[in-house]
Amino acid sequence: MGLLGPNGSGKTTILRILAGYLRPSAGTARIAGLDVVDDSLAARRCVGYVPEDVPLYGGMAVREFLGFMGRLKGLTAPGLSGAVSEAMHRLRLEQMHDVQIGRLSRGYRQRVAIAQALLGNPALLILDEPTNGLDPRQIIEMRELIRSLGGERTILVTSHILGEIERVADRIAILLDGRLLGVHALRGSGMAQRLRVRIRGDDQHVRTCLARVPGVTAVEAEGEPAISATTYVVDADRSVGEALATAVVGNGFGLLAMEPAPVDLEALFLRLTAQRTEAAR
Amino acid sequence: MRNFLPLLMKEEKAVFSSPIAYAIIAVYLLLMGYTFTLMLFLNRTAELVRIFFQAAVLFLLIVPVITMRLLAEERRSGTLELLLTSPVREFEIVLAKFAASVTMIALMLLLTASHAVVLGIYAEPDWGPIYSGFLGLFLLAGALSAVGLLVSGLTANQIVAAVIAMGIGILMWMIDSIGYLLPDPFDTIVTSLSFVAHFTPFATGALFLSDLGFFLTVMLACLLLSVRTLARR
Repeated sequence: MGLLGPNGSGKTTILRILAGYLRPSAGTARIAGLDVVDDSLAARRCVGYVPEDVPLYGGMAVREFLGFMGRLKGLTAPGLSGAVSEAMHRLRLEQMHDVQIGRLSRGYRQRVAIAQALLGNPALLILDEPTNGLDPRQIIEMRELIRSLGGERTILVTSHILGEIERVADRIAILLDGRLLGVHALRGSGMAQRLRVRIRGDDQHVRTCLARVPGVTAVEAEGEPAISATTYVVDADRSVGEALATAVVGNGFGLLAMEPAPVDLEALFLRLTAQRTEAAR
Repeated sequence: MRNFLPLLMKEEKAVFSSPIAYAIIAVYLLLMGYTFTLMLFLNRTAELVRIFFQAAVLFLLIVPVITMRLLAEERRSGTLELLLTSPVREFEIVLAKFAASVTMIALMLLLTASHAVVLGIYAEPDWGPIYSGFLGLFLLAGALSAVGLLVSGLTANQIVAAVIAMGIGILMWMIDSIGYLLPDPFDTIVTSLSFVAHFTPFATGALFLSDLGFFLTVMLACLLLSVRTLARR
């Protein structure tokens, strides 16, 4: 899950509230059903958090630091050493185990911070701008790492760079001035989706038929409508593929092709932020 | 309290791996040794009352330097965010930091006890005032540590933390003087807030529960306020 928004839109504040560092002045936040204020300690056990500026104890060696953080997360002697070794192996930190954190490069510090967040196997991993300050090779490695970690747990990652979010997230939430503008699926899921459908039939009737399918929010033709077949781009706020196919075939039109269309994140972001600015006026 | 021990170990390491600790201990011992030698050869009395008062005044200046980094440094470097987002209770953090500071003070007092040992070898001192004097110094330093910790939690700047804690400590030490200018009952109230008023009986060998209670109350109040400061965030 990616949290996208311009600088100052409230991404870090939301993450800090979820991680238990800040208390919300209004409203509630829950992690795995646990309120972050009322069940703060239990909620914090479910979260591994890596702040944006990667604060670490510079005077500690890598293994010593991970051991310390592991103990704070409730790991005890028999399992602690194994968990620390596994986290170091996962983040390829073995060779740095006795190096003082203060002497590590930004890339390694980022890895140490993620390694400590993984200790205790939290259900939610929160990464605030994880590619900030990394060189291009480190950015690629970080993306691969985030993708590899994502299979086992939910990862909430923020960025103000569209391309970064697009590469690692399956879903994105767009934030502006502390308000959620929308949640969109970038890859397969039950969330909002965009389909490209090629249909043979009268343009007007086809459009009416598509628009009536529950969940469809917009229908646009790609290029000029033709009698032989026209390609439509359908936006929906949920998964509508099956209902769309049934409606098209049931109304006697020819369904020639249907495929997921990639979301144009830039266009989506601009559209949502423009709508918000207009609404504010 | 599961997290107290790892937090305490971390704090102890931070205190004793810093050159500040050794500089403080060295200067403290040098000044104390100087006064003890003078007292021994000029007064030729087998008591430590002056030593206790000098140590108390030195603590007013030294303890804020020990406590200034406790929370301010964590706030400045951002590691406080790491600590507070871990499943750790705020009071465990505060207690560990307080205990680390008190450990260093206890070490300094232990080294000062060498003066008492010298007296014991070459004379027959009255041990009662010596024991109570060390207890008084320990309680005073504990109260100053708690004040310093509270102030350190309110700023990210260590120098600001040290200067404010020093100011509060010195003011609390001599606040009884203003009691002479105030009408009854304010004079009594102000006098009973003074560190020196509660420390003097200890240094001269008189133990009162009220003095003990005063220092413990100051410690408890400052520690609770420190926890509150962290919890409010």
